[in-house]
Amino acid sequence: MKRQIPLLLTFLAGAIPTIAFFVPQKHVGLVSTTLDSWLIIVAGFALLLGVVNVVQMNTNKIKRQASGWPYAIVLLAGLAIMGFFGVAGAFDKFGGIATRPDGSSTPFDWLYKYGFLPLQGTMFALLAFFMASASYRAFRARNTEATILLIAALLVMFGRIPFGEMVSKWFPLATEWIMGKPNMAAQRGIMIGAALGAASMALRVILGIERSYLGLGKGE
Amino acid sequence: MQIDRRIIYLFVAIGTILPIIFVIGLPVSITPPVQMAFDRIENQLQKGDIALVSFDYGPSSAPENAPMADAILRHCFSKGIKVVVIALYPLGGLSEAVNEVNKVVAEFPELKYGVDYVNLGYKDGAQAAMKKMAENIHEVFPTDMNGTPLDELPIMKNIRTYRDMKLVVSLATGIIGEWWANLVNAQFGIPVIVGPTAVSAPKYYAYLEAKQMAGLLGGLKGASEYERLVVNSYPKLAEVYATPGLYTATKGMDVQSIVHLIMIAFIVFGNIVYFTSKRKPRKAS
Repeated sequence: MKRQIPLLLTFLAGAIPTIAFFVPQKHVGLVSTTLDSWLIIVAGFALLLGVVNVVQMNTNKIKRQASGWPYAIVLLAGLAIMGFFGVAGAFDKFGGIATRPDGSSTPFDWLYKYGFLPLQGTMFALLAFFMASASYRAFRARNTEATILLIAALLVMFGRIPFGEMVSKWFPLATEWIMGKPNMAAQRGIMIGAALGAASMALRVILGIERSYLGLGKGE
Repeated sequence: MQIDRRIIYLFVAIGTILPIIFVIGLPVSITPPVQMAFDRIENQLQKGDIALVSFDYGPSSAPENAPMADAILRHCFSKGIKVVVIALYPLGGLSEAVNEVNKVVAEFPELKYGVDYVNLGYKDGAQAAMKKMAENIHEVFPTDMNGTPLDELPIMKNIRTYRDMKLVVSLATGIIGEWWANLVNAQFGIPVIVGPTAVSAPKYYAYLEAKQMAGLLGGLKGASEYERLVVNSYPKLAEVYATPGLYTATKGMDVQSIVHLIMIAFIVFGNIVYFTSKRKPRKAS
């Protein structure tokens, strides 16, 4: 039963929306829409699960004094402080989570604007430096394919900026052609492949062939 | 020849800082995907129509997505289009929605919350929420983000499903924008415009070409193009965009242009050195 019930639930959760999509019957549709509502609620709990996981992992790291454990303290402190003001704000304490009507920031809003936002922005801004360094090292015309990639990259990078159009109107046109034709064709192939893979995996999970999500191997 | 990466970092840093201090004001040319997005709102939507704007990004991509959000909101409000705001991105989507809407709404003092615009807040389970909104938005968002029941908000009284709206605009990082195109537009037919980050923009051309999207604002460039279109059509907004200290995509493009040139220069230099060093052994022999 420990195995059968989750497999049955998985089968029903997967099969009902699939059948409802093709069968325009009122009662089938009703069950499917109810499942959609449940999914929104379960997704919320999945977020909570993520928080519990992060707390567990970092607490263990601190206990074991593993490499980088002081950062785990900083992480948990940030989680606790923002979480506290976020939850309190949801119950209208401290003025909520947004800006107050008089324009002043609530604690959550202040932490978001002056802590979370600049830190997240900085993290992703660092990518610009890594990309510049990586592109210098990676974009070499070593063979035919690498040369085509190099030329396409240079055309797109130059065509995307105003300087490209100042030099020649053909640069932005070439950029749009690359994005709209070969890139689009390649993206379609990737998306179709990924979608077929996802459909195949979904079918395996629905039919109970793939059971790794239960912590079981194939055939267990 | 290997250049110490710190030299590359230094050039990129200078290329980033200087255009922020000394604004160049490079011209912006309009590309067809952005023109399509603008034309959809400008020509296909009328005053009083409803547009759903979904904040599907967080602070990490705010420098790219926030100017798009501002430009779209300014366009809609200038044209008298009513806006329903939601957020489906868990990491700061709601805060971004609140900040950007509050910022833009302050420029339009005639707008009334609950009549001309509304913020329904954040909902988890993006795809499930999108699918459920096709049946009844009031079930997905029973109240707005302030806790007011939707039936008490004049703007939401006649909005039940996507059929009651004319357009969805998703400002997205990651995969959520794709779901608007391949789930909501594909199944329910409502036109969708997506404003993704520049990194994600290439994959959206497939949806654009298949007419599953009504327009595409790709990254900071797309945002700057939309700003240009909006300012050209609504000259009053030129004053807003000329506000000192206001971050706009057009200003950001100055930085991006310089950094692109620096990267191109390093790539070309690297290849010249590569070919030169390849030839040298042949000359020796």
